[in-house]
Amino acid sequence: MRSGGFRKRKHDNFPHGQRREEKENVNPSSALMTSFKSFQLELDTRHDKYERLVKLSRDITIESKRTIFLLHRFTSAPNGEEILNESEVKLDAVRRKIKQVAQELIGEDMYQFHRAISPGLQEYVEAVSFQYFIRTRSLISVEEINKQLIFTAEDREETTNMTSNSHDKQPHTWSLKVTPVDYLLGVADLTGELMRLCISSVGNGDIDTPFELSQFLRQIYDGFTFIGNTGPYEVSKKLYTLKQSLAKVENACYTLKVRGSEIPKHMLADVFSTKTELIDQEEGLS
Amino acid sequence: MNDNESVLGSGGFRKRKHDNFPHGQRREEKENVNPSSALMTSFKSFQLELDTRHDKYERLVKLSRDITIESKRTIFLLHRFTSAPNGEEILNESEVKLDAVRRKIKQVAQELIGEDMYQFHRAISPGLQEYVEAVSFQYFIRTRSLISVEEINKQLIFTTSNSHDKQPHTWSLKVTPVDYLLGVADLTGELMRLCISSVGNGDIDTPFELSQFLRQIYDGFTFIGNTGPYEVSKKLYTLKQSLAKVENACYTLKVRGSEIPKHMLADVFSTKTELIDQEEGLS
Repeated sequence: MRSGGFRKRKHDNFPHGQRREEKENVNPSSALMTSFKSFQLELDTRHDKYERLVKLSRDITIESKRTIFLLHRFTSAPNGEEILNESEVKLDAVRRKIKQVAQELIGEDMYQFHRAISPGLQEYVEAVSFQYFIRTRSLISVEEINKQLIFTAEDREETTNMTSNSHDKQPHTWSLKVTPVDYLLGVADLTGELMRLCISSVGNGDIDTPFELSQFLRQIYDGFTFIGNTGPYEVSKKLYTLKQSLAKVENACYTLKVRGSEIPKHMLADVFSTKTELIDQEEGLS
Repeated sequence: MNDNESVLGSGGFRKRKHDNFPHGQRREEKENVNPSSALMTSFKSFQLELDTRHDKYERLVKLSRDITIESKRTIFLLHRFTSAPNGEEILNESEVKLDAVRRKIKQVAQELIGEDMYQFHRAISPGLQEYVEAVSFQYFIRTRSLISVEEINKQLIFTTSNSHDKQPHTWSLKVTPVDYLLGVADLTGELMRLCISSVGNGDIDTPFELSQFLRQIYDGFTFIGNTGPYEVSKKLYTLKQSLAKVENACYTLKVRGSEIPKHMLADVFSTKTELIDQEEGLS
């Protein structure tokens, strides 16, 4: 018969029909249902953990951003020391949150939750490297950052609660390794802040910083071009911003160098906001 | 000033230099900034105000995420509802979950005391939409009708009786009509899912009820048309698709239903070609 092939299909469907009838008389404590319940439990705990990490990451981001705003107020004036100390206090608070992240990730594969914590870690790297740059005028390394993220339970309260701990006298150590990717993206964000630092330092009358920053940013830019296309896709977006920041800083240095001798200090900041260079030249002559 | 204009062609520029001089004064003042001047103290108060506002916004976003997750889990639970004995059980469990969600909404209401709710509306809106979706879904399963905004808001009035001064504190959160609308639009997606799964369970009456119900909701939304917020147009598109799926299900049941035994019904919805269905009917 021409519909013989279809007749075969009807037989194929019959097992489906059996499955439907089984579903109507579902036994809630069958092996299948209990295994599904364990799946549900496992997935729920995983999603809850992911959600907690997202919340911690948001807190880390906000606190790091506020530290960066604070560091922008740094000047060589007496309150410079004060600002650095205050920033250290804030960064310690951020590190405490990172400790909580590390505790959540004990026994877990970090990369399964990496997307949750990555933004927070990038902001933290940005804040820490910014503070390090203001202190030492150099770039902090990944190892340095990770050294600060090793937490030991030296707190007396914690060791007495863990009775098994006091028996074998082994302190609990948690650590969080900032991945090279997060470090890279954090450094790329740092360049934006350095560009802002450059422009504001000119406004403060400091004419040396822009030239230092120009060299520094050029080196960072060269480093990123080594990576080129081989990194994660976010790098290409940040590379574009980095190029713009570098251009702004180099324009600032150019204006200072070429025009700097002609214009008194207190009008320097105006020069950067004036759109046409012709007017600048006329001001120089008058 | 006019003499300079006649002497130099760039006289206008000379005027610009004088204009710049106040700028210069400002720069010098900045270098000798007095940290306790009236300007600095007012800026510090701005900083404090902005920081508290942003912190409150952040707390509301976190609460909203919790509300969303808990409401979504309630909806998953409600999808397991059947007319079997565990139906009552599932409804009670869902009521417990929704009470937990309402406790979170109470926290939101407490955060918003004395504040303009619309300044934080973007933070809590997703959570409230999911809550409306969950509550209306549960209400539909119980009563086969749509819950009203007033009903929802009645459940969101929280009072505590303070034994000290015998005056109960009352907090309430009003779900805005916008959130209600968007929540109902999401509800239609869940109803479509309910329709298809009820066919799989062998229930042939629900799809027809749902088809009518969704058609009424769709008509209501076309009244609003373009006048609502822009999210409504996105959800209207999804609503149309959901309605089409439900109506296709009803069509298949009606036209093909008599020909095919119950246990093969669910296959009919997954088969791509109708020709094969017809052949199966004949054989």
